[in-house]
Amino acid sequence: MNPDPSIREEAIRWAARVSDPEFGDWDDFTAWLEGDPAHAEAYDTVQFALDEAASLLEAAPGVPDVASAPANDNPPPPLAGRRWAWIGTAIAASLVLVATFLLWPGARGEADYATAPGETRLIALSDGSTITLGGGSRIAIAGEGKRKARLEAGQALFTIRHDARDPFVLAVGSETLVDAGTVFDVRMNADGLDLAVSEGAVVVNPAAQALRVDAGRKAVLAAGSYTVMPVDPDEVGEWSRGRITFRDAGPAEVAAELSRATGIAFEAGSAGSAVRLSGSIALDQVRADPRSLEPILGMKVRRDGGVWVISAQ
Amino acid sequence: MASNPKLEQAYLAHRPRLLRFLAARGAGDAAEDLLQELWLRLARAADSEAAANLAYMMRAADRLMIDRYRARRQEALREQAWSEAQPGLAEDIAPSPDAERSIAARQHVTRVEQALAALGERPARIFRRHRIDGLAQRDIAAELGISISTVESDLRRAYRAVADLRRTLDEV
Repeated sequence: MNPDPSIREEAIRWAARVSDPEFGDWDDFTAWLEGDPAHAEAYDTVQFALDEAASLLEAAPGVPDVASAPANDNPPPPLAGRRWAWIGTAIAASLVLVATFLLWPGARGEADYATAPGETRLIALSDGSTITLGGGSRIAIAGEGKRKARLEAGQALFTIRHDARDPFVLAVGSETLVDAGTVFDVRMNADGLDLAVSEGAVVVNPAAQALRVDAGRKAVLAAGSYTVMPVDPDEVGEWSRGRITFRDAGPAEVAAELSRATGIAFEAGSAGSAVRLSGSIALDQVRADPRSLEPILGMKVRRDGGVWVISAQ
Repeated sequence: MASNPKLEQAYLAHRPRLLRFLAARGAGDAAEDLLQELWLRLARAADSEAAANLAYMMRAADRLMIDRYRARRQEALREQAWSEAQPGLAEDIAPSPDAERSIAARQHVTRVEQALAALGERPARIFRRHRIDGLAQRDIAAELGISISTVESDLRRAYRAVADLRRTLDEV
């Protein structure tokens, strides 16, 4: 973390050179890196600080642009304005995951939690279980000892301390999910819900079809019926670790997911709406530069007013 | 998203250089794996013509390592937040986390702005034009009517100020 000052100075010099789009001296840069493993580390430290500063500045709402000359000269891109005002908060939330502690309001009371798009909340329950609430989501948690919750919108990752005599029960719309020793992720969408299990198992609607979904399986509810398919357990709840993986998803779904996860407004354009997209996306990278999605998705991403449009052209 | 033959050919031709770069760039023994990841990124590029260019590939490799470093740092932060969130460690509970968080975010933005402003108007402006708006140093020089070497030296000063600020925060 504290390299030799001269190495640090060299790393800054290289960062300034490499960041230029016209930079072409990759062989010399490689030679410098090969000179000492500390070089790469110093360079990483500098680039990290620069990316962070740039994304904070870009998202900063309504602050006077200390760097810019008066407004007649190269106005900054249309980032200022109210619809961007909450993005600063969203980005901050991505930099430091904020832990929320549950204050039980009373024996019978419910506690409600809601997140803005781009925000993530960790909710620690008194029994040692945790719920990570994704962006643009809402959940109501029953009073102490009740082991009940109701997901009202969005997505959450549940890490539940299992008790066979007193299972944790989650209501999602008209569905009931009961844990059987579990880490599971639930996402509500327009069609129904996706339930993905990475540890243990969840029983869906025990009073009706009693569908058991084991670790490494995913149940998708659409048009009133469930389809079960395999899922990579490492991908379950990975949004809470700053990543989203899509497999054969439509641009509209990708846009909605990214908006909720990053707090940046995305939309699917009309061109290429039938395309199916696959790819694994680091959310920080998207927050720092929405256009970084282009190579990952193989789609164009352009800004239209306050919205980023994902389309084939 | 099938890769095009021209891109594949260019990638195979540049493979040894890319591998060497990744190894030096901090990938070490994982360089082969990361090269595979790099190939996936290249194959998905919207413009495969541009992606077949060595400079594009090297830049993508550099970006890959920057992303990995950031992911590692954030993982560490999350683990820290996680352990701090264990019940029992904070019985008397967080006062309005929302308010606290947005204050912290605003403070950080303000610190970055102050660090840049302290250098004067020009370096701060160059930092934004280059790092946020993505302008080439040559274009910034033309826009401001100054030499490229002045742009470079201002940019280095701005980079140093931002890196120093991050280091100060890391040491707290």
